Amino acid sequence: MTYRPPKQSKLSQLFDVIVLLAMTFGALYIPLFLGLAGGSKSVPEGAPTTWEGMGQNAAQVAQYNALGFTDPAAVSNIINARYDYSFSWGALAVMIVVIVAYYALMLRFSEQEYRDVISEKFGDRP
Amino acid sequence: MSFWNWMEYAAWGLSALLGGYIVIDWIKTDATYDEEVLTSSREGELEAMVEEHHG
Amino acid sequence: MAEFDITSTTRDGMGPHGTQVGLLRVLGPAHVWALGVGIVLVGEYMGWNFAVGKGGAYAALIACWLAGILYSCVAMIDSEVTSTVAAAGGQYTQAKHIVGPLMAFNVGLYLVFAYTMLEAANAITAGYLISEVARLTGYDGTLDQRPFIVLVIVFLAWLNYRGVLATLTFNLVITAVAFVAILVLFVSTTGLLAPSMMQHAALMEGPAALPYGWIGVLAAMHFGLWFYLGIEGTTQAAEEVRSPARALPFGTLAGIMTLLIAATLTWYICVGLIPWEFLGDGVNGSVAPLFDAARLTGMQPLVVLLGVGTLFATLASANGCINDASRAWFAMGRDKYLPGWFGAVHPKYRTPYRSIIFLVPIALAFALKAPLDQVVTFSILSGLLEYTFMPINMILFRRKWPMHTIKRGYEHPFHPIPSLALLALCAVTFFAVFLGYGTQLVAMIVFYIVASLWFHFWRYRFVARAAQFTMPWPKPRGY
Repeated sequence: MTYRPPKQSKLSQLFDVIVLLAMTFGALYIPLFLGLAGGSKSVPEGAPTTWEGMGQNAAQVAQYNALGFTDPAAVSNIINARYDYSFSWGALAVMIVVIVAYYALMLRFSEQEYRDVISEKFGDRP
Repeated sequence: MSFWNWMEYAAWGLSALLGGYIVIDWIKTDATYDEEVLTSSREGELEAMVEEHHG
Repeated sequence: MAEFDITSTTRDGMGPHGTQVGLLRVLGPAHVWALGVGIVLVGEYMGWNFAVGKGGAYAALIACWLAGILYSCVAMIDSEVTSTVAAAGGQYTQAKHIVGPLMAFNVGLYLVFAYTMLEAANAITAGYLISEVARLTGYDGTLDQRPFIVLVIVFLAWLNYRGVLATLTFNLVITAVAFVAILVLFVSTTGLLAPSMMQHAALMEGPAALPYGWIGVLAAMHFGLWFYLGIEGTTQAAEEVRSPARALPFGTLAGIMTLLIAATLTWYICVGLIPWEFLGDGVNGSVAPLFDAARLTGMQPLVVLLGVGTLFATLASANGCINDASRAWFAMGRDKYLPGWFGAVHPKYRTPYRSIIFLVPIALAFALKAPLDQVVTFSILSGLLEYTFMPINMILFRRKWPMHTIKRGYEHPFHPIPSLALLALCAVTFFAVFLGYGTQLVAMIVFYIVASLWFHFWRYRFVARAAQFTMPWPKPRGY
């Protein structure tokens, strides 16, 4: 028996596109709006702003000068900024669970749909 | 107005021109051809031909 | 209502299944190379240097080579599967035949996301570059970058709309120029032609060597992918190359070799000239590191050459991205995974024109509104999910159709080692992304879970079951 998909109306097609777009923009912008987007560096308080204080050797200072930065204060935010790599094991566990659950769910549903396709294609449906 | 201000306007203008070309051609194409023809492409044509020649 | 002549020689792809207008088979191996390398080479001109910021210069080199191994596995796996499953949609079509429809839907979305975000990142960089040129040529106001960002996207969309041959021939030329520019910069700064300007020892002295220790090396893997991200896009051309079984493996493997060379040279040049803190800050510091390296040489011709190289690389990449994203979107529309309206081919230009048009405003929205590192991260995340799918795909492919049950255009050696290596490197990269961008990672996966449920319970009803399996293969083992 062959499955006959229903014909989709123009309006319904449009609606599906809108749903998909809403999901897309939601996923990408919600973390940005909520300020949860990570990845930013921070400059420690009272960080030094002289070449010596920032541990820059002569060669490094020369390259900064060549790039057009003769005043160390102008690049001190770039030089002093550091990432914070501390993390909680709980958050890591959540991430692992989410990733594994996602692939497990997807492979399960895929397999179910795939068996359907194969049995229709190779025609051995009982 | 300086050179770079002109360039800004030129870029806006050119974008509008190319964008307009695409949109007009799109509307014309959709109006000229039948939807069945436009969406008649099927995956695996090459493979299907091979299959029918040998099978 | 137009009449079509079935015997027309100008229109190929006239198959028995009723295709009246299909994509045009006009491309050769060089175009495949240009598509793959063209998308990626921009990664050498911008973006990879975030890896330096994440862990220092040596960390970036380790990440560059680990990611190189990861992508060599990707290229080998891709070459085997795609030389056998040659259709637009690339990995999407592979997943549909090998893993199953829902996986295919997800893979299709990864592709479109990865490429559209990369396209947005390219347009942002091009806009920045033009404003930088304005500044260096003495313009004292603040240049409005928006018209240039819009122009880049609209111009390339127009090119793609008008036909694939011109699009990828254009890519071939500008990619070659951008690659040669890196070689020229290398020979003229490292002592081969002129006295060496490299100062690796001094610039990487003391704590500058590995500023974060080994965790920095792990963290750098996140942006290490950027050296090569997009090489897997060669498979999207499958329906438009003249002989896919030969051209795709050749173009893809030549592409990854080109990139391994370009990536290593880029690292060597940049860390030998630019202090790591400045190099590693791709937002406030070195946005275009090769261009900055050229400026540091003090040689005007090199500055011009690398400026042109940077611009060409961004254009080539955005161009390839439009090509690939629209092919994936088109293939999903054709199978009704997405509304069938997108499955249309332009009767004159023979391109998936509606998909090209649809993705333009989306790319614009991100190029004009989102910060560069976020856009890059979204692109990397989608890519990473895709690379995690590939080993699953490969293992199932060999299990369902063992060697000699079907004809493969290329068979990759040492199976399953590349698959397992790829899986392990993906796990490392997930951890690296987690270190900086855990929230986005989870948000992204939640999105894919919601989209999957939507597909499984709603959208899939519009898909014909057996008809989507188009390869002339025997029944898979175990079914």
